[in-house]
Amino acid sequence: MKLELKDVRYVYAPGTPFEVEALRGVSLVVEPDEVLGIIGGTGSGKSTLAQHMNLLLTPAGGEVLVDGVDAISLEKSELRRRVGLVFQFPESALFAPTVEEDVAFAPRQLGLDEEEVKERVRESLRALGAEELAARSPFALSGGEKRRAAIAGVLAMKPEVLVLDEPTAGLDPATRQDLLALILGLREAGVSVVLVSHDLDEVAEVTDRVCILEEGRVRAVGTPAEVFYQDPTQAPATVRVTSLLKEAKPEIGDPVRFGETLDALRALQEV
Amino acid sequence: MENAGDGTHPGGSFAVSCERISFSYPGSERPALSDISLHVRPGEYVGVAGPNGGGKSTLVRLLNGLLRPDSGGVRVSGRDPATEPFEVRKHLGVLFQNPENGLVAPFVEDDIAFGLENLGVPREEMRDRVAGAVRAVGLEGYERREPSTLSGGEKQRVALAGLLAVDPEILVLDEPTSMLDAAGRREVLEYLGALPAEKTILHVTHHLEELLDADRILLLNDGDLVADETPERFFSDADLLRENRLVLPVVPRLALELGLAPAKLRTPEELAEAILAKTESGTRAG
Repeated sequence: MKLELKDVRYVYAPGTPFEVEALRGVSLVVEPDEVLGIIGGTGSGKSTLAQHMNLLLTPAGGEVLVDGVDAISLEKSELRRRVGLVFQFPESALFAPTVEEDVAFAPRQLGLDEEEVKERVRESLRALGAEELAARSPFALSGGEKRRAAIAGVLAMKPEVLVLDEPTAGLDPATRQDLLALILGLREAGVSVVLVSHDLDEVAEVTDRVCILEEGRVRAVGTPAEVFYQDPTQAPATVRVTSLLKEAKPEIGDPVRFGETLDALRALQEV
Repeated sequence: MENAGDGTHPGGSFAVSCERISFSYPGSERPALSDISLHVRPGEYVGVAGPNGGGKSTLVRLLNGLLRPDSGGVRVSGRDPATEPFEVRKHLGVLFQNPENGLVAPFVEDDIAFGLENLGVPREEMRDRVAGAVRAVGLEGYERREPSTLSGGEKQRVALAGLLAVDPEILVLDEPTSMLDAAGRREVLEYLGALPAEKTILHVTHHLEELLDADRILLLNDGDLVADETPERFFSDADLLRENRLVLPVVPRLALELGLAPAKLRTPEELAEAILAKTESGTRAG
């Protein structure tokens, strides 16, 4: 699916003294089968933008297009099945007595038969390495386990685009790496992923393209190498290291991911 | 025994002491904490690390009396948080992980003042303390905003300001930077670094680089206290890190892979310099 935002604007509390212009004309395309990173400082509009992707928030101006069709003309339920949104701290919305029931809730709303619902629940939990949690109460889980259960609930809808708003906040580094591997696996399976994150190091590892938001506007968009080498002060640690070496060692190139960077640094040491 | 003190006041000479505490959540087959003992002296800066589900947040909740241990005893400034939670919370303030849950008032400034109101601080003084906390976290101009219109990172700053306004002797920070970008994280760490030395700090985090300045790091995994080490020893112990699903941050990880000292090279600048020095000496030698 191709998801397109055209000149999207949004204002919180319009017409009051507390009015905040959160998005000031954002145009952005989520291409099929890509992982798009959305980064930017706190308050730059990242979450507001994410919530426009399935029209959880209705733009005050501009439009959202799904394969060229105005998203407003689609059934809300249809749109939200195709574009899955995982909120910040999604575990606060867990409610059912067991994880299994919780994950089954959304697919059951689709009117699928019970066999299909069960299959989807199993698949989603397996994708998140959370099968052993199926019969547990969501409230007796640790923070990381709850997070995985909550993401499984959205995955069970089999969305074509999965929007993740700070999915790794508060997770331990190993669980974070598992989640990043899941993102890459979903892309392999033909799902587009939008990763909203303040962690540039993780964005560097998994994204095909990166968009920087600043005060509700797109400041830059491109491949991670293009975007990060343009302004290495706002870049992941790998790029901050290599860009400091560039003047003395131009042969280092433009590596971004950890593995590429380590190879480039090793090559320097070998000559 | 180290904690015997004068024998009249268990844990009295410690800011925080836990004696053989165990805790299980109802319906859970394995304990969240089993038989943990730890002691923190006034003025110590102690990091708490470990995987999700290791017991870190449970420990925090036992310290401020939100939970009570199944067995064993907790003392905070000599008091038992399970029986005197309100007294304990005057001495020990917690910044919780998810800022959404903590914000209650209609405006940012009321939220920051909330803890002070509960302590019965006079109005005049309250105004000064709130203003000081707002400045400390860089939220000037946000006083009359509604918390619901703030971003996750801004909410986290509001919660931190509320804690700084109360100014407890013991600060417990549960993932205080989980929603902040790199710049915001550096700022929060600077506020922590600028706190007076007599403050006791327990800092729970997955970002191990934030703990480089800690006096020691406690590692909780699967309900057990598996290590109590200085940051230098902790960072260089590859087996300990691997066994406990801990991953070093990018700069020390690159350093370790390149055969350079991981705990000494904290910033990209320091690492780049070390690499240049090494390649240049290599060129001269060759």
